[in-house]
Amino acid sequence: MSNHEGQKPVRKEMSRRQFLSYTLGGTTAFMAGGVVLPMVRFAVDPILQKKEKSAFIKVVEESKITNDPVEYKFKIHQVDGWYESEAELVAWVSKGADGKIFALSPVCKHLGCTIGWNTEQSDQYVCPCHGAHYTRDGKNLSVAPKPLDEYQVELKDGFVYLGPIVANTRV
Amino acid sequence: MFKAVYNWIDERLDVAPLWRDVADHEVPEHVNPAHHFSAFVYCFGGLTFFITVIQILSGMFLTMYFVPDINNAYASVDYLQHKVAFGGIVRGMHHWGASLVIVMMFLHTLRVFFTGSYKAPREMNWVVGMLIFFIMLGLGFTGYLLPWDNKAYFATKVGMQIAESVPYIGVYLKELMQGGTIVGAQTLTRFFAIHVFFLPGALLALMAAHFFMIRKQGISGPL
Amino acid sequence: MAHGHKSDEKIVYVGDSRVRKRSNKTIVPPDYTAFPGKSEAFIPNFLLKEWLVGCVVLVGFLVLTIAEAPPLGYPADPTNTAFIPMPDWYFLFLYQFLKYPYASGDYVVLGAVAVPGVAFGALLLAPFLDTGKERRFYRRPVASALMVLSLIACVYLTKVSWDHYQYELKVTNTVPEHIEREEKAKEAREKGQSFSAVKKEESVEIVDANDPAMEIVKANCIGCHAVDLKGQKALKVPALRGVGDILTKEELVETVTNGRAGGAMPSFKEKLTAEQIDQITTWLSKQKKAQ
Repeated sequence: MSNHEGQKPVRKEMSRRQFLSYTLGGTTAFMAGGVVLPMVRFAVDPILQKKEKSAFIKVVEESKITNDPVEYKFKIHQVDGWYESEAELVAWVSKGADGKIFALSPVCKHLGCTIGWNTEQSDQYVCPCHGAHYTRDGKNLSVAPKPLDEYQVELKDGFVYLGPIVANTRV
Repeated sequence: MFKAVYNWIDERLDVAPLWRDVADHEVPEHVNPAHHFSAFVYCFGGLTFFITVIQILSGMFLTMYFVPDINNAYASVDYLQHKVAFGGIVRGMHHWGASLVIVMMFLHTLRVFFTGSYKAPREMNWVVGMLIFFIMLGLGFTGYLLPWDNKAYFATKVGMQIAESVPYIGVYLKELMQGGTIVGAQTLTRFFAIHVFFLPGALLALMAAHFFMIRKQGISGPL
Repeated sequence: MAHGHKSDEKIVYVGDSRVRKRSNKTIVPPDYTAFPGKSEAFIPNFLLKEWLVGCVVLVGFLVLTIAEAPPLGYPADPTNTAFIPMPDWYFLFLYQFLKYPYASGDYVVLGAVAVPGVAFGALLLAPFLDTGKERRFYRRPVASALMVLSLIACVYLTKVSWDHYQYELKVTNTVPEHIEREEKAKEAREKGQSFSAVKKEESVEIVDANDPAMEIVKANCIGCHAVDLKGQKALKVPALRGVGDILTKEELVETVTNGRAGGAMPSFKEKLTAEQIDQITTWLSKQKKAQ
């Protein structure tokens, strides 16, 4: 409207232009927030969902377990969003020097590759990716920062039941 | 006929300056491979753009067959590559183009670095260029998972574990990218969304900024 | 609004719109007279030359796509323990770097986050770290030397990583899946069959799971044939689910009594009575795929 250049407003209050600018800024923030916030919550939902603990699954007879680790596969009911499946898990089960049965998770603690037993004929677990080595008990010898995780073991009626994965308790 | 249509549009929108600005700007001799053969090193930027266009086009066509679902992803890639006419070539363009774009971009970066072209006043363009570089690596990483073969699955698991090793936020970062606690159905859809919408969107915006700055500042002078 | 404009401005409106009528102004191209040599217009002169280079690249690229099929392995199988993962070649240097003692183990944060973070951060901020006026690479030895060293390191790490991969393949006697798949597909093609690695979801249910024979099977068979009776592929132990489709009752009796495959399947004639064998083979012969 009035365009008297060079004439500064005398009053120290907020000018009309400033007021409109702030209001525009606020409106923009509201619109951006209103649009983006639901999407952000939508995207981070998997983090915030409650995790269910897996149940104990019957895997193998107790009498079959030897001192040498053997790979056993067992199934758990896995819910991955809309995709429910009977996922197969792998455990290396053996009897320790103390006579206790324990089951190691095959996921390498370095970067999550899958380890194998004795692939280099060295009586160790070996990871093919970066050459991490572990002892029978899952103790990390090289590369990996932590020992192999264990499955919780329950023995019932002569069978080995495996449960949730926990940090190694043997080293 | 064409001229009449052009004139009609030009009268209303005054488009001539837009394209004349692009068409008529002068290109100095020291970047012209026809004058100095060694100036071919200045072609890598343009070639990166060319391969990027191939990537975008071939990617668009691949989504006509691809299904981002763990039961069907592999089958759809298998089908489009082996059953669809020219499928091997179109997927090949996308697969090998991904490598080639990294190579070209790498050479372009080296050219800019060793000619010192990133120095004032072109610092911002270098930063934008590096951001493009990172986005390309991100595209490579997310695209690797999509065929859902063993290579895709296990390489992604390793990548996720690297993300997890970030202190404090690593676990959340990993879960956010995976869309859950395992690499599974939700990881595939997430990676698909990131690969096809989020990263290309950012890439286009950054490329626009990159080109705008080149036009604004002109090419760096001869050494 | 309009009265804010200065009255001497030469703007002529077309009709009642606000689109300016075009004046015959010529656009002044940016001035490169300070540079030596001749400059030329971007379109068509320069772009033609650049696109000639582009054509050469395109031809090479198309030849590559035709000659080399993009690799595709077998469908992802999370329980596959024999697979040796390999990232794309341009991540190999990082992949290899993470094998070294001070980048793994207790120092994995250093290797996976700190060092790459610093390296890429320095690259990103190069213009603010190397602020000298000099552009020639030999006049800024520090920046150039760092870049050359990083390049050599990357090439070296990539090579070592690749060599280690080849070594692993040799030690474990594996053929990369995408090569194996391609060879199988080729064989099938030569025989005129079609080939696909797509897993057909064939879950064969256990028939009559409550039959008393199941108890005998549980006691004797699952050690090898697995708890779920699906066998163990890696050890070439066949599944018992659906076995009735493959073997007849008589063959089953023969197999259980006398063993099979040179003793890989042991003989059960000492462990089980003829009656028990009859019981389980009757049950096993009922194990047929649901129609």
